[in-house]
Order: sequence, then C-alpha cells, then structure tokens
Amino acid sequence: MTDMMDVARAAVAAAQAAGAEYADARANRLLREELCVRNGRIGQADATEQLGLGVRVMKDGCFGFAAAPLAAGDGSALARALAARAVRGAGELAPAVVAPARLAGREGHVAEYATLLEIDPFQVPLGERVEFLRAAEAGMEGAGETVVREASASIRREEQWQASSEGAAIHQLLTRTGAGIATTAAADGQVETRSYPSSFGGNYKSAGWEHALALDLVAHGQRVRDESLALCRADPCPGGVRTLILGASQLMLQIHESVGHPNELDRVFGHEIDLAGSSFATTDKLGSFRYGSPLVNLVADSTVAGGLDTRGFDDECVPSGSWHVVKDGVFNGYHTSREWAGHIGEERSRATARAEGWFNPPIIRMTNLSLMPGRWTLDELLADSEDGAVFADTVKMWSIDQRRLNFQFTCEIGFEIRGGKLGRMLRSPTYQGRTPDFWGSCDAICDADHWDLWGVPNCGKGNPMQVAEMSHGAAPARFRGVTFVDARL
Amino acid sequence: MTLLDRESTLAAARALVEASPADETEVTLESCLDRFVRFADTGPTQSADRERYEVAVRVRLVSDQGRREARATCDGLDPALTRGTLERAVALARHSPPDPELLALEGPVAVDGRRADPGTLAHPFEQKADWVRAALAACAEHELLPAGLAQTTGLARGLVSSAGRAVYAATSRASFALTASVPGFVDGSGFAEQIAARVVQIDPARVIARAVDKAVKSRAPQPIEPGEYTVVLEPPAVSSILLFATYKGFGAQEVHEKASFLCGRQGKKVFPEGLSLADHAGNAVYAGFPFDGEGSPKKRVALIERGVLTGPVTDSAWAAKLGLENTGHALPKPNTHGPMALNPVLAAGESSLEELIGGVERGLLVTQFHYTNLIDPKDLTLTGMTRNGTFLIEDGNVTRPVKNLRFTESLVGALGRVTGVGRDLDVAGALFEGEVVCPALRIDRFRFTSTTDF
Repeated sequence: MTDMMDVARAAVAAAQAAGAEYADARANRLLREELCVRNGRIGQADATEQLGLGVRVMKDGCFGFAAAPLAAGDGSALARALAARAVRGAGELAPAVVAPARLAGREGHVAEYATLLEIDPFQVPLGERVEFLRAAEAGMEGAGETVVREASASIRREEQWQASSEGAAIHQLLTRTGAGIATTAAADGQVETRSYPSSFGGNYKSAGWEHALALDLVAHGQRVRDESLALCRADPCPGGVRTLILGASQLMLQIHESVGHPNELDRVFGHEIDLAGSSFATTDKLGSFRYGSPLVNLVADSTVAGGLDTRGFDDECVPSGSWHVVKDGVFNGYHTSREWAGHIGEERSRATARAEGWFNPPIIRMTNLSLMPGRWTLDELLADSEDGAVFADTVKMWSIDQRRLNFQFTCEIGFEIRGGKLGRMLRSPTYQGRTPDFWGSCDAICDADHWDLWGVPNCGKGNPMQVAEMSHGAAPARFRGVTFVDARL
Repeated sequence: MTLLDRESTLAAARALVEASPADETEVTLESCLDRFVRFADTGPTQSADRERYEVAVRVRLVSDQGRREARATCDGLDPALTRGTLERAVALARHSPPDPELLALEGPVAVDGRRADPGTLAHPFEQKADWVRAALAACAEHELLPAGLAQTTGLARGLVSSAGRAVYAATSRASFALTASVPGFVDGSGFAEQIAARVVQIDPARVIARAVDKAVKSRAPQPIEPGEYTVVLEPPAVSSILLFATYKGFGAQEVHEKASFLCGRQGKKVFPEGLSLADHAGNAVYAGFPFDGEGSPKKRVALIERGVLTGPVTDSAWAAKLGLENTGHALPKPNTHGPMALNPVLAAGESSLEELIGGVERGLLVTQFHYTNLIDPKDLTLTGMTRNGTFLIEDGNVTRPVKNLRFTESLVGALGRVTGVGRDLDVAGALFEGEVVCPALRIDRFRFTSTTDF
C-alpha cells in the first residue's frame, strides 16, 4: 500500500505546489477476468489488468484532471508530471468559468476498506471456474431449436489508493463476482432468449466466488432452455390496461431508470443534458412531491452488504452512507457530490461521486438503491390478483425519455394470472408508464424473504461516457392500471 | 506520452510475440491521447488531459483436439506488466476447451496506412476554452442554458502475429457538441454536433448557431397526438436507429443464428432504389481503422445496394464456416458477438433538407432520438424518444415546435418507406456507441406510440 499511496500523495503535493486550491489523486489497479462458454466452446476468455494514476485539481474554481498509466518505478515522477498538467489545464480553462466550483465539507479521512467475502474468486483455480461454466452450459443442451447456449462468469478486483490535499489517505479493495446463463431459441419464426438469474450476463454482487456457487446455474439450465423455446410459441402479450406484478429482476431496472437516474443532482441542474439528459425531479419537489404510493420506500445505501457500489468511501474521500430517496412515497433526497451538495443546502456530500477507473474524473453516480420489502408472499400476491393480471420478469428492452418520465420496458417472460396462479406464458410483455403515476400505482410489495440485491454492471453516464456498477434490492411488487403495448407491427 | 509511431508499436508488439511460449500468438497494442472539456451554464465542468495504452495478447495452444484460445490485456508498456499479461493469456488458454473449428492465424497482409493529424493531437485547452466561451455567450444572448463537449483524440493501433502479420494505423477525431435549453429544461431545446477526423474541420460557430437556432425555434412546444407521421429525420436521428442494424443484424453470426433481420430478406429489394448503405472504413468523409480485430483489411461491404439487402459482414472464422469471403470485420477475439459493421456509410441522395421538408404535407421534423433500443431483432423493431427539437411540418413548411414523442417502429419497415434522401452527409453518433456517416431521410408513416410532458 505504501508505495502507491506515496505516489498519490506526491501528486497532491505537486498540485498544491503548482497553485491548486484542492487536489486529490487516485492510483487505481483493476484486475478482471471474463469467461464465457458458448455453444460448447470458449466464447470469451479475457483477463485484464489496469494500473494508472488520475490527478484532479481545482484552481481558480475550475477543475482540471490528468491521467496516465503507471509503470513500475516511475510513480513519483509521473505523479508530479500529471499534477502539473492538471493544474495547467485548469488554468487554461479558468477564464471560461462563470460560477466557480465549491466543495462542501472537509474529508481528510485515513482508512482502509475491503469487500467481505468467503472465497476469493482470484484464488479459485481457473480450471475449476471453466468447468463450472462448462457444466452450466451443458445443462442447457438437448433442444434442437436452441441456437445459443451461454454460461458466463465475471470476477473483478479494484484496488485504489486515494490521497487529497485535505489529508485523506484511503486504501480500498473492492471485489465482485457475477455469473449467469442464457439460451436463445429459434422456432416458429420467433427468436427468444431466456436468462437466469438475470439478463446482462447474470447477477453480480460485491462478494466472492461463493456468490457464483450459490446461483446453482446447472439446476436452472433445463428450465431456461425450455422457457426460451416455449416463448417462441407463446402468445404475444396483448396491449391494454391491466394489473402488473413485476419480478425482482425486472424491478431492478425499473428502479434504476425511473428513480436512480432522475435522482442524480447534476442531472437536475442540466449538467448531464448534453448526453444522458435532465430530470423531472426538480429541487422544488424535494420533501413534498408524491413520487409513489405510501408503500414505496426507496433507500440509497453504499454500505449494504453485497451491493456493487458498496465501499468505504467514494472517489472524493467521503464516507459511505444511506438515506431515503423516497420515503413513504414522498421524494426525500438526492445523490450528490462535494460540488453539488451545497446547491440544495446540504453541508456534506452523500458520497456518490465515482470515476470509472483511473482514466476518468469523478462524477455523480447512482449508488445501491433499493425498494424496501413489504409484507406479502408471492403466492399470496398472485392469489390476490384478478384474472388477466400479468406477472413479468427479467429485462429484455428498456427505453426512457431524457427527463426520466416516459418509459417503456419489455420483459423476457410473462404469465397471465388465472385463478390466483400463473397461467399461460406470454411473450415479450411490454409496458409503458409515467414515472410518478407508475410508482403511485404500487399497492403491494413482497416481503423480505423474497428480497434480494440485483446488480447492474453496465450503467452509462457522463460525456465521454463512463461505466459504473450498482445494485438494486427488490422483492416482487404489484402495480395497478398499467398500460401494456403490443409491440408487434 | 506521445502516440506511438509504427516502428515503436510494431517493435513492442513483436517483442511480446517472440517471447510467447504459445503455438500461436497475436499482440495488439493501442496508444490513445485524449483531451476533453465538458461545459454547462457555469462554464467548464469537467476536463481531462489523459493517455492510455492497451496491450492485448491472444494466444493459442494447438493439439489434435483443436486450438485452445484466450486473451489477456493490460494498460501499460512496462515489461513486467506485459509479460504478466502474456502469462495470464497462456494460463487461461490452458484451461479453455479445445475448439476444432478454430483455424490457424493468417499471414501477412497489406493495409492502407493512416495517420493521426498532429494538429488535432496538439489542440490545447485554451482553444477549447474559446469554443466554450463562444457557446456560453451565444446561449446567454438568447437566454438559453448551454451544455456540451469539446474533445480531441488520437488513437494508434498495431497488430503483430506469429503468423507474420504486422499492421499499423493511427487516426484522430475531433468533436464539438452543444445542447442549448430553455431554462427549466421543459420548454424547448436544440442540439448540434460536428465530428471530424481533424480539428481544423470543426466549425464551432456553425455548431453553436445551429443548436441555438433550434432551441429558439423549439420554445413553448405544443402537445401533439401520437400516430403515424411522415418524418424528416436529421442525421443524429438517422444514426441512432441505423446503428442498431450494425449492433444486431449485419453480422454473419446473427444471420447464422437466425437472429437477424437479414434472414429471409437477403438479395431481395426490400427498400427503395435510392437507398444504399455500405460498411466502408476507407470512406472519404470520416475514415476508420483500415484493419479489423484480427488485422485483416477492412473491405467495403455493400449492405443495401440500391434497395437490395445484401451483406453480411464476416471475419475469418465466420467466412470459413459459411464459405464466404472474409470481409475484415472481426472484433478482438475471442468474443461472443461475432463480426460487426463499424463504419456504416449511408449514401447521399439529391435533396436538400429544405426540399425534404418541402415534400411533406403534414409531418414531423426530428432532430435527434434519445434512448433508442431494440425490441425485436427480426424486424429491427425499435423504440425511443424524440429530443432536442421536434417540429410540425405543414404544407412543406416547419410551423411550430411540438412536445416529444415515443416511436415504436420497425427499421426494416421504415427504410422501406423512405421517400427522400438528403444530399449532405454528416457524421453522427448515438447514446450507445458507434458513429455513422449519413444524410437526412424522409420516411412515410413513421409510428409514434405515445408522448411525454415536454
């Protein structure tokens, strides 16, 4: 730790010497292995190692940033050079500043943090992980209509040494594991994919290999295979207005797109409108706007065990925490950074400033954001729902407007509810909504026994775009009067 | 750091190939320089002066059962790091199941050299700051809020293999984009962007003027009913839907796996005579890298030839598997995606934008689509929202701004109803990755399924 922290400190010192009012530096090392067995062969076998230094400064109220890969032995020299470039860049841009940036709080923490895990995934022999996937992929064999069988696993370790001109010295070791299976069948003129436990390659958690093992991919192979084929022959989900019960995997993305993103304060002020868009959740709504029914409680939490964005500190050295984004249905709080917290009168950032690796400067990123569980079992919820209601799960397609109001989602699979149970299978259930109307129609949420964290490994934001990861906890929930769209043309 | 030249790149890659214990080895080395300034109403909000390398090592271990293949990457040139990357690739390959279908790496080829523009690489923050100040001033004059990005990038890539292949090229890219919004972000906005290979080609004043003009004209948008409309799509709207045909459609793998809209339509005249699309990395407007992820020369591939649907693009494996020519469209291997068209060029037509608009009795002028996504790959059924300037056209004239609409439409169906093709080519991107060289299009009966509040 010492060498990399010394490099980060050297960068900060050099930046201050060059006139920066504030500086932070992150030496970041990323190890990642992606494996995929596809149709009996290796579809992907990729191991990545990245190591670099990013230096951020503020001079004359203007941010500057410089970054480069770190090689052995030249850390301090590079640190000084990057600091000088960052300060020079800020200085060249400062004349264009209209409103100088200000940082809330003072964050001079010295700390260590590491993901809790049982089985270090990087210590699991490669052969064992490949066999794990081969068995999972083989478990989906047996149907001639299957055109694709994929079993994939991803492990990642991010180690960061972070120093700041406020005296921060933080070392974090973040580990995450993900795995999943998917089949694609082609039959009767249709092509349908079915995934387990989720799309986007599976489910991911800040955890060790024990998470992959617990998914028991082999046990689900035949079901996934059979469902993808059955979907090809299933009735398409008809349009109309009806009750919708969403499975937790689909709720993951519903939360992500319609609650998480509009909640990023920089979006609210138009600083993401050049690409990702703005937000309907304007600051006049804070504390009073009815975002959902009184059942709806959405909690942001960068400390929750297993969350993809669970960490000790964000990339501005602010300690992780939790807060209600929506409390009893009322809009309650934003994701902020040190630059943005003061815009809503908060004295401290919510610790949600993150950068993708060493190559990028930090921006506000969504953290783990979860719908708190209710009191229903799924069987009770189905039994309580009228004939013609639809249960739908697993993300297939998603689209939302630039203010995060009008959305449209398609799920991999749906079932019509008949007699209080799941009835006929439905293909491509597609529903539309307007964010507060949708959340306002939530009248039942399943209980903690049905609740789990679901990982989003590919959230894009920023310009140039950065990818971040976070989790969303959910249990199945019911929504009334939802508009379904028959997407057939 | 500087962008690595041909000699340095190939020498570093060759050294790693020669150090490899694998039966076959391929090393790709990239160097990248990037400077950007992002801005909003407060001025510059983020910036970066950064560089990176990527060293990718692909190895194969050959046995009677086939080839075991794996890939490892790192982001530096430190010898300890790159040797460690090689070792990781070999270790991964040892545990990969042998694939009897994998063919030997192919030998030497000749590719067109391409160079990055030095002026683009050297473009300073001071000049980007001038662009930002001009954008802020223009927006302030019209009481609009600005947001945008100024960026200059250089990328060099070389590939060396144990089969004797050695290729190198370098490119540069410059862009300036502005979104101008009426305060509150609900009562109108306009967008303009210019992407070019060299920064001297960027005309920031023109970009600013277009975005501001659209924003001013989009003030106070009126409600509109969803339904079918004749649309004139400007290039950023065209690119965001056309790119889905490249993500999921024109590649040989998805055709073979019956997941492509080409299935059942290849060789058929599905579109009007005036529509032609090719994947062409060597195009004159905005050239891309001349070789693919295996170092094979990228060939020009007609994807739509005067309305006839052709393609697909291939790589070495899919070409051999299907008995086709290798068109040079491999992504870095191994990968699960298959070959991909990365340099689509939609051919220009003969109409000015005004002429396209003039031919509409009642329809919509669409500047841009937002969050377009794929519902059904067989017909390329897509959905997305209009954005940053949507206007009603009546009797050939743009009359008033309207609120944004969601479309749900098959790209195959829509392109089959093209009635006009613009004569001016532009380079445009989309929310997801990719860039297209394309003109504006006029399309009949484009389906909008809902609207939103702004």
